[in-house]
Amino acid sequence: MSLLSEVWQAVKALGTGMATVHKRVYEDAPTEFYPYVQPDLPAVSVQSLALVENEDGSERCIVCLQCERACPAQVITIERHRNPEGKGFLIDRFDIDLVNCMYCAACVEACPVSSIVTIQDFEMSTYDLHTLKADIDFLHEQSRRSRRWYSPKFGVEIRTDDGKIVKAPPEMQPGGLAELLKPAEEEVDQ
Amino acid sequence: MSYIPIPEDRHFRIKRIGYDPGRSRPWLERLVYSLYVFAFWGFVIATYAGVPALFDALGWTAGWGYVVMRATQVVLLFLLSAVIALMLILALRKYLGKVQERYGPMHYGPAGGIQTVFDALKLLGKEDFVPAAADWLTFRLAPAVTFVSSFAIFAVVPFASGWTLADTNVGLIYLIAVSTLSTYGVLLGGVSSGNKWALVGALRAGAQMVSYEIPLALVFLSVAVWGGSLSLGRIVDSQMGLWNVVPLFIPFVLYVISSLAELKHIPFDFPEAESELIAGYNVEYSGMSFAFFFLAEFVELFLLPALIVVFFFGGWHGPLFGLEPGTLAAGALQSLYFTIKTAVWVWIFLWIRATLPRYRDDQLMEFAWKAMIPLALFGLVLAAYMRLIWR
Amino acid sequence: MSTISVDPVPGRSDEMVVNMGPQHPATHGVLRVVIGLEGERITRAVPHIGYLHRNHEKIEEARTYFQVVPYTDRMDYVSGTQNELPVVLAVEDLLGVEVPQRAKQIRTIFFELFRIASHLVWMGTAMLDLGAITPFLYTFWDREIILGIVERTAGARMLPNYYTFGGVRRDVHPEFFKDVADFLDHMQRRMPDYEHLVLENPIVHARTKGVGVLSKERAIARGVTGPVLRASGVAYDVRKAFPYDAYPDVEFEVPTSSDGDTYARFWVRFQEIYQACKIIRQLLEQTPKTGPYKGKVSPRLKISGERYRAVENSRGELGVYVVGDGSDRPYRIKHRGAAFTNLQVIPDLFIGAKFSDAIAILSSLDPVFGEIDR
Repeated sequence: MSLLSEVWQAVKALGTGMATVHKRVYEDAPTEFYPYVQPDLPAVSVQSLALVENEDGSERCIVCLQCERACPAQVITIERHRNPEGKGFLIDRFDIDLVNCMYCAACVEACPVSSIVTIQDFEMSTYDLHTLKADIDFLHEQSRRSRRWYSPKFGVEIRTDDGKIVKAPPEMQPGGLAELLKPAEEEVDQ
Repeated sequence: MSYIPIPEDRHFRIKRIGYDPGRSRPWLERLVYSLYVFAFWGFVIATYAGVPALFDALGWTAGWGYVVMRATQVVLLFLLSAVIALMLILALRKYLGKVQERYGPMHYGPAGGIQTVFDALKLLGKEDFVPAAADWLTFRLAPAVTFVSSFAIFAVVPFASGWTLADTNVGLIYLIAVSTLSTYGVLLGGVSSGNKWALVGALRAGAQMVSYEIPLALVFLSVAVWGGSLSLGRIVDSQMGLWNVVPLFIPFVLYVISSLAELKHIPFDFPEAESELIAGYNVEYSGMSFAFFFLAEFVELFLLPALIVVFFFGGWHGPLFGLEPGTLAAGALQSLYFTIKTAVWVWIFLWIRATLPRYRDDQLMEFAWKAMIPLALFGLVLAAYMRLIWR
Repeated sequence: MSTISVDPVPGRSDEMVVNMGPQHPATHGVLRVVIGLEGERITRAVPHIGYLHRNHEKIEEARTYFQVVPYTDRMDYVSGTQNELPVVLAVEDLLGVEVPQRAKQIRTIFFELFRIASHLVWMGTAMLDLGAITPFLYTFWDREIILGIVERTAGARMLPNYYTFGGVRRDVHPEFFKDVADFLDHMQRRMPDYEHLVLENPIVHARTKGVGVLSKERAIARGVTGPVLRASGVAYDVRKAFPYDAYPDVEFEVPTSSDGDTYARFWVRFQEIYQACKIIRQLLEQTPKTGPYKGKVSPRLKISGERYRAVENSRGELGVYVVGDGSDRPYRIKHRGAAFTNLQVIPDLFIGAKFSDAIAILSSLDPVFGEIDR
């Protein structure tokens, strides 16, 4: 008798498994239709890096080399010279090797002026790896095209149609709970 | 200052073709896939009723005319088997997709309806490669052996009363002989590939055949004893009032299990277990040689459920609504019943494929020798005894 | 110890030597096992590793402590933040940083979320190895939910780089706690399905019960940890033995089984998913919605001294030994990987088993080659 009950248990278990599988036929598939529908990425999502220009087209970056030092993969190469008319530095070269970059966003954390930012343009596939060795024009172009970026210091910023850079409204901000509950801080002057 | 020029077409952007995933079209899917079943039905009618009628009208019913008529039917069945394979691959992928919370093929044709045609074209365009270590002739011959032996089962399958290519009185013996041959194709293909995984797969196929063929033959015997004939047509005829599944329940269960083993279907797919032997016996095959193995597998995936229906579920029996048996209309209706019953069994096989993991190869052998053969013998004796009492 | 040669043993013409891997569907990456087959029975099994070697430890010696953390993510790539914790804990110990309780709780929630994610990946791939295709897709969709939750807070899905010295990098997303609670409810609905498909399945029983038995003594001798060890009847769990982060504040059990076979390892992982859900539920109640998430740590930290810290990740004891020489870079970092150690039992379990059993055994060890080859 125990053999029969064992067989019955096995058949019942197999039947339960098959029913479990078949009931999913009637559920909606969670498939994302990516090339047709863009995914809704969270604001903090690190997909690519960009370099932000000021509203007047000048450089936001102060060439402090913090990002170069912070980079674990050591893919950022910066060359600079002293500004002959005034203080600070000017950029000679600002390269990020987006092929070897591991998108940890350590540079974005390190940047004191939120010049280097993360953007959500992930469509970087290319036939030629050399096209992903980004120079400064490339990085500016990234931020111009993306028009929305994130840095831990300023949160999500938006470039409006008339070229102004404004902080995104709170509902677009990723914000931790602590940041959300803090009183709104003034716009940081550049 | 620019260090590396930015090319204009830096991004490989996917061309957005007009397609709206938000527009759910389940009715279209249902339409397309039922059209496939009806196309299959039409094919069957054309083969078994259309061709003889045409040759009747031409007056070619004797001598060479008869031979030409049969040959035409065989050619039509060959086309039908290709259609079946394309259909079943599509059905498998679509059903697996539904079960796995995906959509399955959905881009080519209405509701993905002609996806497999493109897959077949892709296979046609691939290089048919023979490895250096392979034995050329055997390697080439093996897919043909497998396909022909699967295809030859068509000869005895009755689609409706009288709609058989050859209603011989040794149908069951023919079936055993022919279906065993397909394992030879697998064995030859695996051994001649010159690949160790293929060799192990082939050996597993051989060991598997040894285990399921004996219960299969015993089940055939019980069916023959209960039906009183070796002819498939007469076995179906004998199920007029009562389908065989009721009196022959034990042989029925054993036959389903052996069919799964013969198909190399999922609980028993050791010869091609992809997570163990990569692809088993067909690992070195590519292009059309591979397609023939594939074709054979899916033709069998139709034929073995069809044989389950023939042996145990009354074949083409069903309410005829007062139609005279033997007429075209009655034959068409009967073949529709047959098609629908077979479709249900194919679906059950796909369902099993979607759910179950794989047994170990020696477990099937153990099961076959220790449980299936005694049970099959018991079923045979029971069938004989019941036949003595009730018929 | 063992020969690299794939030639048959001289005088043994009945033995067929096959190379399982590095390109094999069931080796979970790039394991290569040279297997001697006598029919279906395995006579020899020699694992070869190193196809994914990236020189982690040496690279990390040339990086600052802050730069080490994103590298550790790349070891066990299916369990994300779990890899970061040993380094973070060791450096915090050496610095003597005060970590806010809330940060510890957030870290533990992430830790257990990734344990569920890792075990789901294991479940799918193990069933794929056994021949069932469908559970793979179900588990990956459930894991997708976890990765989505992680992405909303940490910015990346699999390799989040979220923990940092003194806490976590940024505060959690406002809807984080709600998301996690929803996910736990979802898992509660899904776990019976997985039980039906995996644990209760008679074919799984046939394939795994009594297969690949690892005795308690052998398991201890080989130094295995994690579910593999607990399935052999040793209730060793770093979370209980050397509690870290918020584990002292939560109640959970350490599921153990005395069978030591493949099925026991399956069962222990299943129970661990339940326990992880239980831990996260408790933490969701305990964790304040707002508060500090990071202690004070100087960005230019310099460390001297040495420290070993271990955590119980999805595969076992993941430890790190950090030696600081007073500079901002570690003098030496040594990772102790659980998957690497668990792989040592392959010859023990494979030899004498059937070839199909070997696949089931390997999937029950749940190796991840990012960590093994480092």
